[in-house]
Amino acid sequence: MQMRPQIQLQAVIKALSDVVLPAIDPNNKLAIEQGKLSIGLLALLAQQLPNQFRFDCDELARLIATARELVAQAKGGEGTQAAVAALYEATQLAGSTLDTAQASPAEVEAMVRAMRVTSGQLVTEVYRDGEAGCRAGIRDAVLAMSKEQLLRDRSMLLMQGWEPDPKAVPPIASLLDASAR
Amino acid sequence: MAVVDKNRPSPEWIEHLRKRYPCEQEIDRVLTRKLERRAGPPYAPVSLDTLQAGTEALLRTQLTEPFTITDTRWLSGGASKLQMAFVLHWNQPGVGRSSTPLVLRMEPSEAITETSRLREFQIIKAMEGKVPVPPTYWIDAYGEYLPYPAIVYGFAEGVTKPSKSTSTVSGVGTSIPPEIRETLGQQFVDHLVTTHTFDWQQADIGAYDRPAAGTEALEWALNHWERVWEEDSHEDVPLMRLTMAWLRRNMPPVDHISMVHGDYRLGNFLYTEHDLRISAWLDWELAYLGDRHEDLSWSAKRQFGQMAEDGKTFLVAGCLPIEEYLARYERASGLKVDPERMRYYDIFNNYKCLAIVLATGYRAPFNGKTHQDVLVAWLSGISYPLLEELRTQMAEVL
Repeated sequence: MQMRPQIQLQAVIKALSDVVLPAIDPNNKLAIEQGKLSIGLLALLAQQLPNQFRFDCDELARLIATARELVAQAKGGEGTQAAVAALYEATQLAGSTLDTAQASPAEVEAMVRAMRVTSGQLVTEVYRDGEAGCRAGIRDAVLAMSKEQLLRDRSMLLMQGWEPDPKAVPPIASLLDASAR
Repeated sequence: MAVVDKNRPSPEWIEHLRKRYPCEQEIDRVLTRKLERRAGPPYAPVSLDTLQAGTEALLRTQLTEPFTITDTRWLSGGASKLQMAFVLHWNQPGVGRSSTPLVLRMEPSEAITETSRLREFQIIKAMEGKVPVPPTYWIDAYGEYLPYPAIVYGFAEGVTKPSKSTSTVSGVGTSIPPEIRETLGQQFVDHLVTTHTFDWQQADIGAYDRPAAGTEALEWALNHWERVWEEDSHEDVPLMRLTMAWLRRNMPPVDHISMVHGDYRLGNFLYTEHDLRISAWLDWELAYLGDRHEDLSWSAKRQFGQMAEDGKTFLVAGCLPIEEYLARYERASGLKVDPERMRYYDIFNNYKCLAIVLATGYRAPFNGKTHQDVLVAWLSGISYPLLEELRTQMAEVL
């Protein structure tokens, strides 16, 4: 799926800056101010989006390290001991969460692209100089993968209104849940 | 695997693509120019004053007597070119002092369809008097006077859809009411027949390479659209690779080389509502010499038609059932409609459309190259239902 927030935000900011804002009545100060603030917030969002996941992981790692330090240092009565136990438990959970979040979204996206390119090249080469007998298997694999992936791509963009029968496309959350099971 | 930076294409990569995908000379020129300019600045907003000044500079090279331009305004519609309407007050040859409503049609820095203004100018001029087209006046083929290449043609009165109708962008989803379907539908057929039987051999269309009989025209077209896919796509799509392999292995030879409009559909003609006459066919930029089945298939796409009130009958261009449409075409043209070639061009057209909306529809706004990136980015969402259609088609033919 290449219709991603990054390019959508960039296009919206450009439309607002180049076309919409200059067309606002110069006497409508409130509209001009809110137009500029909208562009500013969208620009901030565009800047934050690629870094948000790594930012959160970085913060979580720092909190885990600090929590370990806090647990080691804290001594006291019942209340303190209970708080230490709770923080210890939370730290264990946070640590295992961080351990499973090793690949960033950008890395996953890059791997998607790489897999698409190399798979596409194999298809081209098989139809150029591959053995004729293997083409049916290649065809079936590509068509089967395309069917499942396109269902998710279409569901992701359902609200745009391009689908001839929108009810035939399940919600993206249920499709992703089904894949995860 | 060498990684190509498509946003900063190297001269070696450009040359590699040119050699690998030989196509018509003028198409090669505009695609090469697109890549050579890609690393340059994004599209910068152009004011009406700038366009007026550029148009005046162009006209000063064409007109010997004084003239003035007034009433400049933007025209909307279409996803690929900028259009400014204006009135030219001039001494029109053979007419005298006149006030002529005109349109400046100019490219942005990169368009969702990268095409030649020279070809567009030549074909519209060649079709004058044959099918309704705006009269052509002047061309700035290489952007010498205006910020980018442009043509000037007459302003045609009319609407692309009924005033009370709704549609999504670029004419997709337009609804045509029953009472006007027959009148518009018959003209829709007649003009396509005229275009396909037009004697292009005698026409002044030097920017078009003339293909030999057989598959040469189709090979050029496949090379053109695969080159666009290579140049512009962000994510590869194995289904597109499978499709291109099939298209190349199953090329049908053309039995009659026609002038193909390339985007013949509802939304690309104007008609006047008071008399229901088609007043102008627009968007000739994708025209080429090839197989009529491309236009027949394209015009009958689901996205450019609607279902009749019975909920079962698909109406081409919202006007005619497809069987009726093709039967009328055959009767009027004397040219056969071959179901096998219709199916081939159904697949070809989906590939071509995906090269435009999925590949260029990503690359152009990514680099901020158009005057309406937001529209182009929105339009690229149609790629996924189109890919699903293509997947179904490929499952049937493979």
